[in-house]
Formats: sequence, structure tokens, C-alpha cells
Amino acid sequence: MNYQSFKQSVIARAEALGITEYELYYMTAESTSISAFAHEMNEFSASTEGGVCFRCIVDGKMGYASTESLTQEQAASIVEKAADNARTLEAEEPVFLAAGGQVYASLDRENYELPETEELIRSVLDTQEKLYAAGAVDGCTSRGIRERSMVGIFNSKGLDLCQENTVAGFIVGAVVARGEEKTNDYQIALGKLDTLDTQVLTQKAVDTALGKLGGEAAPTGVYPVVFDPEAMSDLLGVFSGVFSSEAAQKGLSKFAKAEDTVVASPMVTIVDDPFHPENPQPMPFDAEGSPTCKKNVVEQGVLKTLLYNLKTANMAGKKTTGNAAKANYDAPIVVRPFSMYLASGEYTQAQLLEKAQNGVFINSLSGLHAGANPVTGDFSLQSAGFMIEYGQKTRAVKSFTVAGNFYDLLKGIIAVGDDLRLPMATGMTAYGAPSVLVEGLSIAGK
Amino acid sequence: MLSREICQQVLAAAVGTGADYAELFAENTVQHAINMIASKVDTVKDTVIAGVGIRVFKGLRSVSASTVDTSLEGLLRCAHQAADALGEGDAPMQIVLQERLFGDIHPIKIVPQSVSNAQKVEILKEGYFAAKEYDPAISQVTGTIMDVDHNILIATSEGLYTQDRQIRTRLAISAIAEKDGQTQTGSFNPGARMGLELFDSVIPSQVGIRAAKQAVTMVNAGYCPAGVMPVAIDNGFGGVIFHEACGHSLEASSVAYGRSQFTGKLGQKIANEKVTAIDDGTIPNAWGSINMDDEGTPAKRNVLIEKGVLKTYMVDKFNGRRMGMESTGNARRQSYAYTTTSRMTNTFIAPGTDCNEDIIASMEYGLYAKEMGGGSVNPVTGEFNFTVSEGYMVRNGEICEPVRGASLVGKGSQVIQDIDMVGSQLDMGQGMCGSSSGSIPTNVGQPMIRVRSITVGGR
Repeated sequence: MNYQSFKQSVIARAEALGITEYELYYMTAESTSISAFAHEMNEFSASTEGGVCFRCIVDGKMGYASTESLTQEQAASIVEKAADNARTLEAEEPVFLAAGGQVYASLDRENYELPETEELIRSVLDTQEKLYAAGAVDGCTSRGIRERSMVGIFNSKGLDLCQENTVAGFIVGAVVARGEEKTNDYQIALGKLDTLDTQVLTQKAVDTALGKLGGEAAPTGVYPVVFDPEAMSDLLGVFSGVFSSEAAQKGLSKFAKAEDTVVASPMVTIVDDPFHPENPQPMPFDAEGSPTCKKNVVEQGVLKTLLYNLKTANMAGKKTTGNAAKANYDAPIVVRPFSMYLASGEYTQAQLLEKAQNGVFINSLSGLHAGANPVTGDFSLQSAGFMIEYGQKTRAVKSFTVAGNFYDLLKGIIAVGDDLRLPMATGMTAYGAPSVLVEGLSIAGK
Repeated sequence: MLSREICQQVLAAAVGTGADYAELFAENTVQHAINMIASKVDTVKDTVIAGVGIRVFKGLRSVSASTVDTSLEGLLRCAHQAADALGEGDAPMQIVLQERLFGDIHPIKIVPQSVSNAQKVEILKEGYFAAKEYDPAISQVTGTIMDVDHNILIATSEGLYTQDRQIRTRLAISAIAEKDGQTQTGSFNPGARMGLELFDSVIPSQVGIRAAKQAVTMVNAGYCPAGVMPVAIDNGFGGVIFHEACGHSLEASSVAYGRSQFTGKLGQKIANEKVTAIDDGTIPNAWGSINMDDEGTPAKRNVLIEKGVLKTYMVDKFNGRRMGMESTGNARRQSYAYTTTSRMTNTFIAPGTDCNEDIIASMEYGLYAKEMGGGSVNPVTGEFNFTVSEGYMVRNGEICEPVRGASLVGKGSQVIQDIDMVGSQLDMGQGMCGSSSGSIPTNVGQPMIRVRSITVGGR
């Protein structure tokens, strides 16, 4: 059955069970991925995914149940399961559904047209040729993607929202070699296909990979570190949970009582902007249906606000910041930024290197899901980059670790670059940063 | 799920443009999870995942398409979509499906869906409060009890029509200890391809205590010093070092494309002769076990490395074509919506002959890594990293004070030559492994090993 009739069945079942406060969240995505290897297309995949999540308030508790199967039977089953699950819950914090009739920002960006299959295949094969022309060796991969996704939220309080997003782009993987040694790099570009410069993209993948050849481990010690925009964005991304009111209220972030206090160097301003042009999925409403908005989370070192949803805002006696999120249609509501970035400062990257004098420049961090602990703020991460000697980038270094604590790092930022970029979205969120210079971090190498 | 007749019809449509192989993968999965935080049941998650993935091959090209519309019309549309993407051609192929059932080597005693939320909450609470009450330093605990009932059906143009039911259960407890404004975490997450009978052998309170004890130990520890030193890695989840440093590089998805440090090395000595490594999907009821893989190949026990010599890779049907190798029963996918590729099952270093005391005694100055966290690898270069969640300094052959915040980095091809002592007590740990075909359950394992020299990240 289609979504509309499924929705009617859900409403009927909820009403029959005397459930008066409920929400139906619907998400679908149609995506295509085309991969090329050795100058030929080798994998093509098209998927249609999606499901619905039913939430309802029973005895003051919010129960959830989800399904991908839109049948009469499932419509009844998710209502019953959600009600049963609500009765299992013990958390006493009041829960809410968003009110209808709220005002939402209109997005100034139209969804762009997605490429036809033929065009996507042609472009992907073209990036293969460009990788080899730029100096890559056998083993390069190219991938083109296109996706049309839709989120709809309907609730018993008169809310009925829908937002469609499109995304397309390339992921190119260059492999380079010198003698026996091989290394690689990936680059991603998202946007309307004919606006993406694949020449620049492929050349950057090859050049970045070439830069990693011959690198040795950095010498062990404590150094000033310059993170490039990608590495700094990765760090901000993995630790963005420290700004979640939910984490703070549950003792999983140290910022529980830190609003309006100094948490970072005065050079640090951190913004959450759902409408940032480089966010691939701008959203006028959050996963609860509240309006989203741009805000400074940290302003010149002062924590102005944590990120809130309806429940955590109520707990704190505040208004939601419109940061309710779901990792997938069936996931519980959590708190997350939409596009979070460290605002640009005044220095060029060359000036940051000059200020560092002798230290380490890091442009790649690996294993963030394991080597960074969002609760404690501790990190110890596999890194690659260059040594900084007398204010200049010199020899390549890799297979070393950089270690520190994110809370300390925020305070230890000495200078912020002017080269803000939002390199890549992680799930629903895009993170960005300019280059930054941080005082003494521990490097473990040889 | 889908009848033979329907599958036959859909496969016929899928090969309609000249594919030489077609496969249908249908899934119906029920996922259930109960979470606790702040001593209360906080969320309950219930999800039904249902859909079909269709894949066709023509030579070295693969096309896959998936759909949630499992009506005959929806399936035919999906099959035509795959066929059309493959190009033009015709279909001389005759498809006759015959049902085949592989034996169930992972029998289930208590099907999780038959157990009420209340009973599951009781198990979760036993683990949760054991952690919460372990020590006054424990400031927060999170806990999850989850179960998955994953039903799959596979039909192929070679005539295979088969089904499998994969049930797994897991309890995960994480504890946070706080001292002087500093926090540290500890966790333990045992699971198995079992139903609720998991808790006949896994005592929930022991799970909680182990998580809490680790957090308390670490909050009282100083930071690990940085440097290059010998490291003894204990058994169980310690096997993540082989998984990251070597396992991923032995998957056909890297090897077939020359994107692995071990491409072209079959029959060569790539590791220390003390190292024998095995991927075994047949271990009864183990977390990473399967009856058959997601292409319908029966689970196998594959010796990957024998006394240092590379014996085989982990191969799926599609990548096997490029390599000229048969499937080793390692094709896996998170769900119908992901494209299958070669993955690990239960991967471990086999027991050796050294004893744990000798391994520790052999180290003048080094690190004893008792518990490991996760990690990652770049298969092209073999550069890997993973974290030590509970470590101790070793001085003059004795285990000394605990240290926090350590990570290990290195190069896979080097580290497997540097494993120069292997203990005799094999144990496994459970993880979720993420890669292109999604997140799948895998076991890692090993006895205690010594790596003679590795970079320890700390400060």
C-alpha cells in the first residue's frame, strides 16, 4: 500500500486504541552509485530505501516502533508495539511533540536536478581518465552518486511537514607509487554535476597522495601543531557531541553548567548553521518538526548555548534550538548540529606555519571512531602531514599519533586561519573549520 | 517469504539483457533494543527491515538494485532496472530453482521475540546496576540489551533457492568514572549468535562489573608515555590488531583491485612463523558465525596464514571472478540495501606455545594492553591504528601501574612479522565491523601475543 493509505491505517489504529498524541516520521531515499575501475564501469547499484517511525505518548512516556514494510498488518503492529514500548519506559522527563502552525525559514537554495544515468556514467569514466592523466597508477577508483531523499513528519497536533533534498557528486580514489611504495588518497565533491571541477578534484587526490610518499614517522615529542581544515573539521565532528544538551544533562559532556562561561580561546567562534551553502542537506525543520536556525554556539571563547531539542530544552527551562535529529528513520531522537563550523580567523595558513616555527602540520587523521573518546575528550589519533621547520612545511611525516584532550585543545588554540572549508558531510551533519594553530600537543612517532 | 515461482520469474527478468549470473536476496529482519541511562529505561527501539536486493553479473561488471516494494510488480521493476543498467543483450538462460537447505550449525534455544520487554529489562538492570554500584567513582552508566532476528532468502540463476535465520543477542554496558573533574570510560559488550540463552553463560552482573572496573582503573591512571616499545596484547578483543592490521587487507574487495599490501603474495611468507591466522564462520553460535554467506555459499573455516605463509584470501563471488578464485564463504552485507562484498566472520590468531608469564617476563620496558578498543586501516598502505582501553606499563618483566589514552599505530605487513611470541589461551571478542557492505557482526580473537616493537601513541 502507498504511504498515504498506510498513514490513514496508522491513524485509525491509534484512535481505536485511544492514543491521542502521536507522530509519524517518514523517510525515503532513492540512490544510485556507479563505480569505475581500470577505465571501465564495474559496479552499478540503485537502491530505494525508506521506512516509517511511529511515536506516541502513553502515560507520559514516548514509545517508538518502525517498519519498512508498508502493509495493513504493519500499520497496526507499529502502533501496538510503540504503545507497549512506552509502557516499558521509566525515564521521568516530560516528553513533547512539536506544535503545528509554526513558522519555518524558506530555503534560498532550490534542489538541483540530478544527472541522468548516462551522464553520471560518462562523468565517472572521465574522472578515471583524469586520475591516470594526473599521474596515478593502477588501482584508482572513481564513484559517482546521486540521491533524492524525502523526510515527512505528521503529528496529532496539526504538524504536517515535508522536505525533499537532492545530492550528487564524485568520490575519487587515487593510488600513486614510487618504487615499491604505494599510497592513496580520496577526495569528494558534492553538488550539481556540471558545476563540479573534476580536473581540480582528481589532481588534488593525486597530489595529496604523492605528498604522502616517502614519509617517515615524526619524532616523538611535544610540538605546536597546525591542523589543516580537513583534520580540524574531523576533530570538531567527532567531538561535536560535547555541545549536546542531552549529553550534558546525562553527564556525558563536561559542559553541563558551562553556558555563558569561557570554554575556549577568545579566537574561537563555533557556529551551527542549518542553511550553510555547503551543507548538502539544508533543513528548515528538525527531526521533531521544530524550526531550525543559525546560532553561535561558542562566541569568542564563550559558550553561548548548547544545542537543544524539545525535551532537553524543557529540562533546562529554555527553548529548543531546533537541533533534534535522527540517525535513521527508526532511530530515537537525539541532539545534533546541522552544519557546525569553526569560524574563520585572520591568518593565512602560511602565517600559521610562520607562527608555529617548529612543529607538525597535520592534514590527515584516521580511526576517529576509536581513537577519540567523546565523553572524556581524550584523543590519540593516527596522523599524517609534514614537519614544520623554521616556519615552512618540509618533509612528509606519517604513521605517528597526535594526542591531547579536546576540552584543552579549545583553550589551546593560538591562531585561527582564514581558509574555512566544510569538507564533507558525515551523515546528516557537515562539519567545517579553517586551519588552526594549537599549542603543545603530544606526538608519538620514532 | 518469496515463493520459488516468484523468484524464478524475477531472476528471469534480471538476466533479460544478457547477464551471466543473477541473484535475489530477500530479507525480513526484526531489530529490538532497550537502552538505560541515569538508572532508568530510556528508549526502546523496534524496527522491521524488509526488502529485496537483486544483483546481476556480466563478466567483471556487477549491477545491483534494491527495493522495499516486495510485490511481484515491484520486484520485476527492480529486476528490469538492474537488467537495463547492464546494457543490451538477450537471455538464453534457463532458470530452474531447487530448494536447498544447509544444516543449522547455530541452533537457537530462546527466540528473543518470544521474550517480553519486562524480562529483557530485568537482565539489563542486573548488568546496569552491577556497574552503577561497583564504586562511588562511577558517575554514569549506559546499558543496552539488543536482539536481531534476521531472516534471509537467496535465489540464484544457478538454481539455488535457500533460506536462513540468523538470530543474535548482545548486552552492552558502558561506565563512566569521575575523579577530580576528569572522566574515563570502561565498557564490555558480549554477544553471540544465540537467543536469550546467551545469559546462561554470560552473567549480566559480571558484564557490568567488568565495565565499571575498567573505568575506575583508568580514572586512577596517568597518561601512557609515547614512544616505540614492545607491547603484549592480551587475548579476546585484543585480536582487533589482526583484524585491522591484516584482516581487511586479505579481503577480496581490496586484493582483487591491487589495493592491498598483500596482493600477489599467495604462498609467500608474509608473517612471523609463530603466526597462524584463521577466519572461521562455522564456530557454533559465535557472534560472527553464519550457516551460509549472503551469496548462499556454505560457511567455511579458512586458514588465511599458516606459520607465516599466506594460504588464501577471503573471497566473494564477484571479486573472485577478477581473481580467478572460488568463493570462500565470506560474502556479507548488512541488509538487502547494501551491495555484498567479501568480509570477515570470526577471525583470529591460532594458539601458539608461549606462556603468558614468559611474554610479560620478556619485556624490560613496554606496554601490556589488557583491553582494546576499535581501530581502522587503510588496506592500500596497510597503515592501521587502534586504541588501548586498558593498559599497564611493564618494567623489568613485571606488570606495573595502569595507563590511559594509549593507541597503537603501525603498518600491517610489518606488525605481523613483529608478532614474535604467541600464547596458548585463545579467546574472542565481539565487534561490529563497518565497511562498504555495511555494519556486520564479527568476532576478533587471539591468545596473548607480543609485538616486539610498535609505536605507542600517548603523551
